[in-house]
Amino acid sequence: MSVAQGVTITKTGQAGAFGGEILTVNFGPHHPSTHGVLRLIVDLDGEQIRRIKPVIGYLHTGIEKQMEALRWQQGVVVTDRHDYLSPPINNLAYALAVEKLMGVEVPPRAQVLRVIMSELTRLSSHLVWMGTSGLELGAMSMLMYCFRERDTILDMNEEISGFRMHTSYIRPGGVFADATPRFLELLDKFIGSMPAHVDEYENLLTMNPIWRSRTIGIGRLSPEDAKVLGASGPMIRGSGIAWDLRKAMPYSGYENYEFEVATSNDCDCYGRYLVRMKEMRESVKILRQALDRLPDGPVNVDDRKMLPPPREELETSMEAVIHHFKLFTEGYSVPAGDAYVAVESGRGENGCYIVSDGTHKPRRVKFRSASFVNLQALERMALNHMVADMIAIIGTADAVLGDVDR
Amino acid sequence: MIADTLIIDRGVSAGDAWITVPSESVHDALAGLRSEGYRLLTFLTCVDHLADASREWPARFEIVYQLRNLDSREQLRVRAFVDGEPPKIDSVQDLFPPANWDERETFDLFGIVFNNHPDLTRILMPDDWVGHPLRRDYPVGGETVEFSPEHEKWQTAPEEA
Repeated sequence: MSVAQGVTITKTGQAGAFGGEILTVNFGPHHPSTHGVLRLIVDLDGEQIRRIKPVIGYLHTGIEKQMEALRWQQGVVVTDRHDYLSPPINNLAYALAVEKLMGVEVPPRAQVLRVIMSELTRLSSHLVWMGTSGLELGAMSMLMYCFRERDTILDMNEEISGFRMHTSYIRPGGVFADATPRFLELLDKFIGSMPAHVDEYENLLTMNPIWRSRTIGIGRLSPEDAKVLGASGPMIRGSGIAWDLRKAMPYSGYENYEFEVATSNDCDCYGRYLVRMKEMRESVKILRQALDRLPDGPVNVDDRKMLPPPREELETSMEAVIHHFKLFTEGYSVPAGDAYVAVESGRGENGCYIVSDGTHKPRRVKFRSASFVNLQALERMALNHMVADMIAIIGTADAVLGDVDR
Repeated sequence: MIADTLIIDRGVSAGDAWITVPSESVHDALAGLRSEGYRLLTFLTCVDHLADASREWPARFEIVYQLRNLDSREQLRVRAFVDGEPPKIDSVQDLFPPANWDERETFDLFGIVFNNHPDLTRILMPDDWVGHPLRRDYPVGGETVEFSPEHEKWQTAPEEA
């Protein structure tokens, strides 16, 4: 047994196809190329992968258990933290599920703000994917370019919610606060500049011979396999199936926006890369439409039993003080029952299943995370590939380990 | 629709259609629904109804299967109730491959045993963990600090929880 860089090797005694012996090699969990703490047990014949077994759970934080101990409105803060690259989309799934059970519809301005935040998040999540995958496959400068644009998105997060990453911006009943004029100004500037930046990334990678040889034909996932294995997001669209929840089962008014579902028939790592690039362009298109049509009006439902009264009312109205006190000591209760809502995150179907027993805390909250399901396709994709290709395959599967382990 | 003998109860919760099937015939029911076009198991999970006063529950654990028809976009939730220690139900991972990890997770966090599962081991918690954390009688914040003497004692406790 030898240990180097978090890699442990054991001999299996089985003969391989190249005259050698099949070795069981352990990668991670603290291996730099596994996007967090993913551990892989790989059977290697020479450099070819004969079996691959992901071992997960190193980032398990008991989020579903914590949710049961928090009141409905407090849970939002925890939802931010499972898929830590797309907090507002996690918030949205949870908020929509709670609203579905309560039968609440949020005002139009809140709907559009939710769409804006979702698309900004998708962009920032794809940018992180692009930067880190580029880094892993030898395109070192991608990280610098992608994080430059991501930083402007984080600035916008800060402007609208006060937080750069874990925004807790979308919450049951509406959003945290109205968009400030400066936010809209930043957004307008961002929409103007982003298409040129996407061109820049494509110039660097799409026809780059190193990038192409590392991704084309690697990690094939046939459309049938993608369906059977329950893959979603760029994983299924990269296999040529135009399945996007924003189109298939629209929420938050996505049916009113014009955009294309990005697909690629390549069914390999390169296809998934092309899908993400196209999706970034489509997101910018949605952002432009959303900004143009942003209606005036309130951003929260007018329900004092669900959301606190405005600060000014507290000084003049006894009723408002009572509502405020009740909400922050006891919270609101949600009618007994269960509801499931799925939204499209940067990684695929991000669902939230909630069960209420009629009290002010959830009985059960289950996050259906895209990464958890997509990672199960890893074995199908990586079989008989080289070890180095495994890095490309894990990269383009884009599993966020916080989302896998929750 | 699958044979009515397999359906105990049906209804709609917040716009989502659901049916309840007997726990011993859950594999048959899901196989029937799969051949009717519900090809995707979105997720599978468990709800612990310990001391849940919102209504009468047939058993403590409710296993929930969320199915989707990718062509008609219909969704259906299938419920099955199980009791006992350990609670047991048939695995459906031969029908729906994504159920493999979902069932391991449900075993890990709720202690539900899935019959005929090829590799029913813990997935999120460490292999030597004692107890099933998402059960309602498992306390929040009950775990001891790692590398402390208490932790050592607790980790080597006999497995009975």
